[in-house]
Amino acid sequence: MTAIESRPPASMPLLRTACIVGVSVIGFFLPRLLGGTSAAYSTLTTIAIFAVMCYGVDVVLSYLGEVSLGHTLFWSIGGYTAANLSVKYGLNGWDTALATIALCVAAAAFLGAVTLRTREFVFSLVTYAAAVVAYEVAFNWDAIGGSDGIVGIAALKLPFVVTTFSGATEDELWPVAFVLLLLTLAFISRFRRSRLGTTALMVQMNPALAASLGVNPRRIRLAVFIISAPITGLAGWLYAYQRAYVGPDMFESYFLVMMLTAVVLVGRRVLIGPLIGAALLIAQQNLLSLGGDWNKIVLGSVLALVLIFWPAGLVGLYRRLSKNKP
Amino acid sequence: MNKTMKLAAVMLLGLTAPVMAQDIKVGTIFPLSGGAGPDGQTVTNAVKLMVQQINDRGGLLERKLVLISKDDESTPAVGVSRANEMIADKVDVVIEGWNSPVTLAMQPILARAGVMDITAVSKSDLILSGQTNPYAVRINSSNGFDAAVIAKYVAETLKAKKVAFLTQNDVYGNGFQAAVEAEFKKLNFAGEVIMTEKFAFKDTDFRVQLTDLKAANPDAIIVTNSSNSSGLPAMVEQYRQADLKSPFVGAVGIMLTTVFKVAGDANNGIVSADIFFPDLPPFTTMPESASFVAAYKKAYGAAPDKSAALGAAALQVWAHAVEATKSLDRKTVAEAIRGKTIKATVFGDAQFLPNGQMQPRYVLFRVVDGKNAKLEALE
Amino acid sequence: MNIAQQIVNGIVLGSGYACIALGWTILLGVARLVNFAHGQLYMLGAFVTWYAVTRVGLPYPLAILAAMLVLAALGLLIQLAMMRLVMSQNLTSLMIVTLGLGYVLQGGSALIFGGNPETLPGTLSRARVELGPLWFTWQDVLVLIATLALYGAVWLFTQRTRFGSVIRAVAEDPKLAELFGINARVVYLLVFIFECCAVALGAALVAPRSPILTSMGFNEVIMTFVVVVLGGIGSIGGALAAGLGLGLFTAFFGAYVAQAYTTAAAFALLLALLVIRPAGLATK
Repeated sequence: MTAIESRPPASMPLLRTACIVGVSVIGFFLPRLLGGTSAAYSTLTTIAIFAVMCYGVDVVLSYLGEVSLGHTLFWSIGGYTAANLSVKYGLNGWDTALATIALCVAAAAFLGAVTLRTREFVFSLVTYAAAVVAYEVAFNWDAIGGSDGIVGIAALKLPFVVTTFSGATEDELWPVAFVLLLLTLAFISRFRRSRLGTTALMVQMNPALAASLGVNPRRIRLAVFIISAPITGLAGWLYAYQRAYVGPDMFESYFLVMMLTAVVLVGRRVLIGPLIGAALLIAQQNLLSLGGDWNKIVLGSVLALVLIFWPAGLVGLYRRLSKNKP
Repeated sequence: MNKTMKLAAVMLLGLTAPVMAQDIKVGTIFPLSGGAGPDGQTVTNAVKLMVQQINDRGGLLERKLVLISKDDESTPAVGVSRANEMIADKVDVVIEGWNSPVTLAMQPILARAGVMDITAVSKSDLILSGQTNPYAVRINSSNGFDAAVIAKYVAETLKAKKVAFLTQNDVYGNGFQAAVEAEFKKLNFAGEVIMTEKFAFKDTDFRVQLTDLKAANPDAIIVTNSSNSSGLPAMVEQYRQADLKSPFVGAVGIMLTTVFKVAGDANNGIVSADIFFPDLPPFTTMPESASFVAAYKKAYGAAPDKSAALGAAALQVWAHAVEATKSLDRKTVAEAIRGKTIKATVFGDAQFLPNGQMQPRYVLFRVVDGKNAKLEALE
Repeated sequence: MNIAQQIVNGIVLGSGYACIALGWTILLGVARLVNFAHGQLYMLGAFVTWYAVTRVGLPYPLAILAAMLVLAALGLLIQLAMMRLVMSQNLTSLMIVTLGLGYVLQGGSALIFGGNPETLPGTLSRARVELGPLWFTWQDVLVLIATLALYGAVWLFTQRTRFGSVIRAVAEDPKLAELFGINARVVYLLVFIFECCAVALGAALVAPRSPILTSMGFNEVIMTFVVVVLGGIGSIGGALAAGLGLGLFTAFFGAYVAQAYTTAAAFALLLALLVIRPAGLATK
């Protein structure tokens, strides 16, 4: 074995695996531990879905350092695909999920290709413009739902071997949401250590080094963007089944601001950051709502102040405080 | 032994009495902030007034009514959260709906949880389609029936030969236009539709469309614009500024208080129809209606408009059904409303179709003094 | 007849777009700062003008000045808060910060000014002008004149004065400009304050066309986006041309195709242009 051949990566320590399994099991039973009410199930399912939605933006923001203002496009593609295909053609959950992934990848590829030749922040503007156009299309195209959207989306059906898993009520939908969340976390974890992920990070941190190594930042951006799209798309897919209603409201800034705040609040490149961020935001909205106007002030202030004073998020603040301890 | 038994019975009654007198919870979900905030506030206030009146008269089923109001911020995702909160609060009925998408998002959630859901204002036909809620009830009129009164006026009273449409480009606006055109066919309308101009709900500048309409010079322009806070008043003013001579015929229910407040005298001459007026017959002659108007004026300092009446009626209809069936069960109460007639509401006797739609009484009117919202009824 | 009136409509709409877009394009060109609070600043400018006219009793021209001063002060505070991010050119964070600030302004304005629609009295928006068969209002004339004057003044300032070349130097390369002794901080402050003043002026002139609501903002300035990118980021002449051009496009697309789809068409045009010419229309 020569020096330039690398060793195979060391396997994860057993303790770490056990911890992850343990936390996962607790997480799965969390709604039951919190009372088993339909409110517990629906809130945690919502948090899981919104967290997965945020992870799509997190991939682009944390690892690429760019702001995608168009992820509501993929969120909506997921929702509309699930709604249209299941209501009009009776397709089951697997089919609609696959269609979602395919459409999101295609849309991201198209948009990303458009930005291949633009400057950095123009990427954000292009994603924003795409979301606006897509909103107008969704609003005006009656065939896919029109301004009132699609109602009566049937319960999620996932045929599995001999049985069919059905997600008709909140407690039935929770395992699907939880599994989706776990899959997303696993995917992000792999992505962080993959070549694409580390290259993207290098492009963000030290563009000169990346250039000297022959890396094309725009192609990296395209690849990362394409990977991030189906994540948010699948969150939208599941949201359609949970809410049983899909409409142009999926393009609203409510979701965009939630995505950005969740990612920024806890800190970038923290694996469970977006999950905690999403949980905090939903908790504030449901438990500590101060009224529509004050909520806007609080949400906007959090977003602005965190980035101005603690750009590394709450995690960064924590690190700074613990460093200052004697 | 008899005495002891009697004493035990009295004590038992005393213990169980507080349990039997548990409050009935009434929930409202309307926009209380944002562009539609003032409108949602009006509807909520009307419900509040009705709750108070019922409590003053001894409550419902001898229990006190408690009102829980929540803000849906005109956002479906927030509405869904509020609906879930209502379910967790174990409310007995939810009166909701200013924006159709918010209603459509909340309906399946409330239906799944078996909570009685009454839509006060939202106009989408999907609300009563049965797909989102098999026991839906809606107080506000639907496009299909609205169209008849407007089409009749344009075809038979104005005897218009050339008609144009200025339509809000969404399901509501396009739906109303389609319904009017269908009515024209039914009436064997002699004239023709020469032009359709559309605009987005959020638009506030209409000079491009008005220029085209002016050039076409139709005998009537049927306007469908539900943006009562900004778009419609702006449109009315620009209509006068463009010096359009064609009569402005407004779709049913668009001339709300804010339109008069903002556009004032520019409204003069507009013909439209609506389903409730605080100062026009037959509502002035109906005792329930008149007392509601008086009580609302006393409590909030202004006459109630159609939106307020819808909120009040929603609560009244539900309360009457509960009183009649002595039950709070959703199916029982809904079946006492759908396809039946509820007497003595602010709309008079409220007739409901089997699908839950309230059948209104339309009054055609012309605006004579826009600044003071003075109308004259037409026949 | 129709065509002539639509041309007038187009110019009226276009001068409004151009007026509101000027501050944004300069800010974007000089500091690369995407100000997502632009819409809410517009709304605030309109409401301060309204407040000055109806509650304080100022005449309209003074109210416009008041709006500009209030927004200038606000802009100063905002830019001071964001200064570190601007100096380090942390564009993504700046974008999100302005998004957050926009939300704060919206919530705050709703609490201060209420949710009811308000009209601005004392303006010329109801004073009708008739030129033969054509019609418009004196307010429209005012907007056009003010826009042209503003653009002219800014162009002269940036092209002819020393401070103008300072600004262009900072836009080109802030680090190099600092080496030459230019205080980039001050430049950024002044440019942001200018943006706030310009949007206040735009709001005070254009907003009276329709009732103002504290929930407005996004829709009113969405065309700004298209104007700025179409005209070339940072290009003053480009923004004016793009603004007027977009106004005429709105009028004719609306008249002959469908007004309801103008926003979609404008944005689709924008996307198409970005594919063909990523730098925008202005040659740079």
